[in-house]
Amino acid sequence: MSTHETSDKFVYHEPGLQHQFEDMGQQEESVSIGMWMFLVQEILFFGGLFTAYLVFRSKYPMAFAAGSNHLDAFWGGLNTLVLIVSSLTMALTVYYAQKSNRSMQVIMIVLTMFFGATFLGVKAIEYTDKYNHGLIPVAGLNKKIKDDKAAHETGHEKPCWEVDHNAPAVEHPNPRGDFQWTDCSLVKLAQDKNFLTESEKIGYFVKDENGGDRIDANKFRDKVRIFFFLYFVMTGLHALHMIVGLGLMLWLLWTAFRGHYTSEYYMPVEMSGLYWHFVDIVWIFLFPLLYLLGRHFLH
Amino acid sequence: MSDNNSEHLHMNIPKYIGIFMILVVGTIATYFAATVDMDRFFPGANTLVALLIAFTKMTFVMLFFMHVYWSKRLIWLAAVGSFFWLAIMFAYTMQDYLTRGSGTFSG
Amino acid sequence: MNAQTAITEGHADTPKGNYLTNGSTLASWLLTKDHKRIAIMYLISVSVFFMMGGLYAATIRLELLTPASDLVETATYNKVFTQHGILMIFFFLIPSIPAILGNFLLPLMIGAKDLALPRINLISLYIYWLGGGLTLFALMQGGVDTGWTFYTPYSTTFSNSFVMFVGLGIFINGFSSILTGLNFIVTIHTMRAPGMTWFRMPLFVWAHYATSLVMILGTPVVAITVLLLAIERATHVGIFDPSIGGDPILFQHMFWFYSHPAVYIMILPGMGVISELISNFSRKKVFGYEFIAFSSIAIAVFGFLVWGHHMFVSGQSIYAGMVFSFLTMVVAVPSAIKMFNWTATLYKGSISFDTPMLYALGFMGLFLIGGLTGLFLGAIGLTVHLTDTYFVVAHFHYVMVGGQVIAYLGGIHYWWPKMTGRMYSEFWGKISAMLVFVGFNLTFFPQFILGYQGMPRRYAAYPEELQVLNIFSTAGASVLGIGLIMPAIYLTHSLIFGKKAGDNPWMHPGLEWRTSSPPPTENFDVMPVVTWEAYEFGEESGLDLEGAKRRDAASIA
Repeated sequence: MSTHETSDKFVYHEPGLQHQFEDMGQQEESVSIGMWMFLVQEILFFGGLFTAYLVFRSKYPMAFAAGSNHLDAFWGGLNTLVLIVSSLTMALTVYYAQKSNRSMQVIMIVLTMFFGATFLGVKAIEYTDKYNHGLIPVAGLNKKIKDDKAAHETGHEKPCWEVDHNAPAVEHPNPRGDFQWTDCSLVKLAQDKNFLTESEKIGYFVKDENGGDRIDANKFRDKVRIFFFLYFVMTGLHALHMIVGLGLMLWLLWTAFRGHYTSEYYMPVEMSGLYWHFVDIVWIFLFPLLYLLGRHFLH
Repeated sequence: MSDNNSEHLHMNIPKYIGIFMILVVGTIATYFAATVDMDRFFPGANTLVALLIAFTKMTFVMLFFMHVYWSKRLIWLAAVGSFFWLAIMFAYTMQDYLTRGSGTFSG
Repeated sequence: MNAQTAITEGHADTPKGNYLTNGSTLASWLLTKDHKRIAIMYLISVSVFFMMGGLYAATIRLELLTPASDLVETATYNKVFTQHGILMIFFFLIPSIPAILGNFLLPLMIGAKDLALPRINLISLYIYWLGGGLTLFALMQGGVDTGWTFYTPYSTTFSNSFVMFVGLGIFINGFSSILTGLNFIVTIHTMRAPGMTWFRMPLFVWAHYATSLVMILGTPVVAITVLLLAIERATHVGIFDPSIGGDPILFQHMFWFYSHPAVYIMILPGMGVISELISNFSRKKVFGYEFIAFSSIAIAVFGFLVWGHHMFVSGQSIYAGMVFSFLTMVVAVPSAIKMFNWTATLYKGSISFDTPMLYALGFMGLFLIGGLTGLFLGAIGLTVHLTDTYFVVAHFHYVMVGGQVIAYLGGIHYWWPKMTGRMYSEFWGKISAMLVFVGFNLTFFPQFILGYQGMPRRYAAYPEELQVLNIFSTAGASVLGIGLIMPAIYLTHSLIFGKKAGDNPWMHPGLEWRTSSPPPTENFDVMPVVTWEAYEFGEESGLDLEGAKRRDAASIA
């Protein structure tokens, strides 16, 4: 203890300065580099998922296009806009902290939190939709629908490529809550126009009795399931980051409300801002990759 | 840190709003670009356009919302470097997948 | 205190506060933000894992004493070698030098009071404990048998062992090493003392900078890979399962994207230690300082381009194999640069053979063999014959044990007086260094021959004609074991009975030797100002090292 006290004599302590630093400039630089290194780490963390996406999408573009088309681009686009607005309010929070404007800081943080929560709300709506349509890739986690007559007459026996993808989504009997996907019309389309990839020719087809190739609904379903798996892991991990960000905002709200941040000291606001913008950037990529690519096949 | 302070105040509210509008336009553009079949020009054109728009949006967010534009070189390096490493991961993984079946051990 | 008196004052028994006496309650350790205390806690925890991994290794060698699988049954053997690998790699090799020596020395070497983010540092230790605890829990439940690489689809679909828990343990532990790396990078950028320019930093610091880059850029990828593996195992979605459209090779790509650079996380800090040792014990400036510094960075960068050489026979394309094979040859260049520069440093140096130096010389020989056999395995044609044989086992043990562990032991001995303020027994130190070297070679050199003759790895039984070499190997392992147990005993003994070391027992000009031993909590009584180049043994360092050495010799006589 004694050494600690004696050495303290040499250092002039500004408020908020930690003992290992000489001055605030050094502390701010350290924190800023640390945060950026953390973001680098985050980029590579998501990068693993993007690699998986890249590999599977290049192997099975039609399955991914089919999955993309089922996702609702309206909700996805809305969420993109919501996140961009929240990014704006976050940037303004930093701006007002730099201006030492406490009340505007608080307002902007509340707005950021509101838009962040809106984003999660929309995500919940989308996830519910997947639950209802049997699109959660894990068996047993989907809505369980009993086998009744009405459901049976929905053209379940039709070959999968004749299912009309424009028809309203029909619910098939799904007593165990399996992942289900019956529409492989895109494969037919791609086959007719002759732009199936080699791995797709292996991945979607089986040999029929005459030795010809026949689209196999089950094999195609497996590939679509991989799309939905990546969809859930990527958006789920992103949503998890949003939740962490909201927690960060809550803490920021409390400290900003108590007037901690002024033009002299606003590092925590700026760092939280970096995190928030990073989460936004991830979504900027997720939106086109998951919702939009392959949409032109149907337009 | 008054010197730090003036450094960050390169942005003002109209500029923030301006960047925001660019992002909104980008979002709308990427949606409509996806509904047009551009693959007839060359395969993968849709993907390329979507990614270009996403990269542009990201660049604006990073440069202005995250203040990278006025940051030290190390921050630039971190930002660019992490994407370079992503590119390594993508490129070297794909160089395997895209060359499968070209040549065999039996020769 | 000027540096001159610092040298002599260490011999006087002035009771001074240091980081060890600054609080003795459990809370003062568990809640400390002092990088030196955290390093000591890492030292104890890592040693526990090392000992456990060593016990598994002993089991493997005992089993392989006879051709039949008689000591343990084959299923148990799978678990034994898997757990040996997991404990040694994730919980010993990766954290050992960075988290113990790096943690302790990095701030001292660059003249900082602490790491830049001390709380993050403590969190990383807790994360390590959490990850390690989960792994140990899984081991007690029955362990895991997939091999440390968790190859799919075996790990996702077929294995009946505790893959989930171990995977989770590794996932969590990964963040410990990410945070350590993050902390180091920030510290090196912002916490250098006045005058400590980039090219005055000890090479140990450069090596840790490169290591930290790999930790930050690589570890998150293995974290997400293991996470995907766990989800796949829990839900059977099929992303890695070829029978339902998944791709097991993708797992290997993502896994090795981290796990190949991870071998550089293990060896780079070891190389940093060796640079310090070689320079100090030949009393010479390191030859080609910039080359060694930049070769560390080059290894960190090129290390990310070669992961496919682990997958030559796993079904990746021939073209990819050729590219990875070529780049593997390229990555050997920076390692060779280091070897040449160390050798040149020794040339005409005034070499003394203290215990750390014995380890350093051992490192150079063993790492040379390990590195060159790596080229055999990187050559795409030859590797077909050698894949999954004991040749591979011998190769990576030469690099990992002959390289990293020996560097770690050398470093622990070298900095032990700084860490504890006590000197270990030089006699026993030399004996154990010899035993480790002899035992190691006796263990692993026969495995090169065994591998070349075709003995596959991961099997509990083998043909009888291979028994002689296996007996050699097991005999060597017992010598190695004794050599490794001895330091644990005499180092502990020296804590109480060792003679006081003084502040600068090696007469080294580095900053870490210019504070008292053990250092005070804030490292330096006054902020040091650096006016000398790295490894300046002459008068430019501001220390009269030669004079002090003469006085020292005179006082002993």
